[in-house]
Amino acid sequence: MDRVLDSLGLVRSGEYLVAYIPATERALVFRVRSRLNEGREVYNYGPIPLKTGTSLPTYTGGSTAVPEDGVLPANSYTGGMSFQAPQIMKDYVFDANDIWYIIETYRDMLFHVKTYITPSFLRVDVQIPIGNPQGRFQKDKFIIGVDRDFGFARGYIELIHFPKIHYGYRFGNDTNLDVRTFVKFIYGEYRVETPMDANLIFDILVKREPAYWLTLPISILDPTAESALIETYGYAGFRIYKHTDRNTALADYNNTLRMVKV
Amino acid sequence: MRELMTVFGTASPTASGQSGDFTLSTPIARSTFTYIRIPKGLKAKIWAKRLAGTAGFTLLVQYTNDVTAPSPTWITIDAEHMAAAGSLELEKRRPVVVVARTGNEAVKLSYTNTTGAGTLYASVDIEITDED
Repeated sequence: MDRVLDSLGLVRSGEYLVAYIPATERALVFRVRSRLNEGREVYNYGPIPLKTGTSLPTYTGGSTAVPEDGVLPANSYTGGMSFQAPQIMKDYVFDANDIWYIIETYRDMLFHVKTYITPSFLRVDVQIPIGNPQGRFQKDKFIIGVDRDFGFARGYIELIHFPKIHYGYRFGNDTNLDVRTFVKFIYGEYRVETPMDANLIFDILVKREPAYWLTLPISILDPTAESALIETYGYAGFRIYKHTDRNTALADYNNTLRMVKV
Repeated sequence: MRELMTVFGTASPTASGQSGDFTLSTPIARSTFTYIRIPKGLKAKIWAKRLAGTAGFTLLVQYTNDVTAPSPTWITIDAEHMAAAGSLELEKRRPVVVVARTGNEAVKLSYTNTTGAGTLYASVDIEITDED
């Protein structure tokens, strides 16, 4: 049995979660105090929220219209999309157009979301924040993603949704079929805290202490996303040090911990 | 990544010697289609074939390397013949595999008929996958 993850791939209560941001070579470290939706992690969301008549670009350079709600036309791809709240939920969530969006005062809450897309051959990537594609080749020379030949996943994506940031999911269909889509989420609604011990953070970040590492698809940290992290958590990540740099790291982490809000 | 889908088609030729392509349907596709274009780097694996109908039909599995060509060249990669009226189920065999190297590859189902008017029902399980 995995000590850190359960059978769904979600972090167990009491274990550590590391959200690594490649663009800054920094990581946010959380201890999962509890899982508020334990035993209720599956959310069969339904079709991708595509509306009939929406114009989508195609891989051949033209455009095509969505023929029916939830259908991704052949040879087309979407722009960044959020998952809208179902009618019954709309009046209760922070943003009816984005079920994973929460505000910064909910900083002790974190969504760990595993998104399964049917059919699973559909391309998927994510913009963080929405409108800001993250796929890059040769640093920043070339933007990649569902609209290119590579730089995307198929059928599955795993993310942590930070408060105060809208994420934009993009989907692509490079077959000749107009496909009916379906999305299933397996998510953890975590109550989190930052470990306030610099030694422990160092041990986690040099991988001496078990933790679940999730590398976020962030190649460029947008200033709005960075300020959202700082407003929410008081910092935008602990720097990763070599295991031989313990003293330097501890001094740095102690400085950072003075700003931590959760 | 694996997506297994069952496609279904019916052919009803009116005379012997007729051949053609199946018009196919599957629950995930909104409309009918005659071929499946395989995304680049993925494979189409045909795991099972179920046929029912009149004797004399042959089901052909065909692929092309470039479905975008004005007149694609379709090559037969597998065939099943209905020697007698009834049904034929071919499952749990090693799959017929078509690999997409360019993204222009496609597979389709066709038929030939040697015994006059009749009907053939064909149901085929196709998996689109990146796995070997």
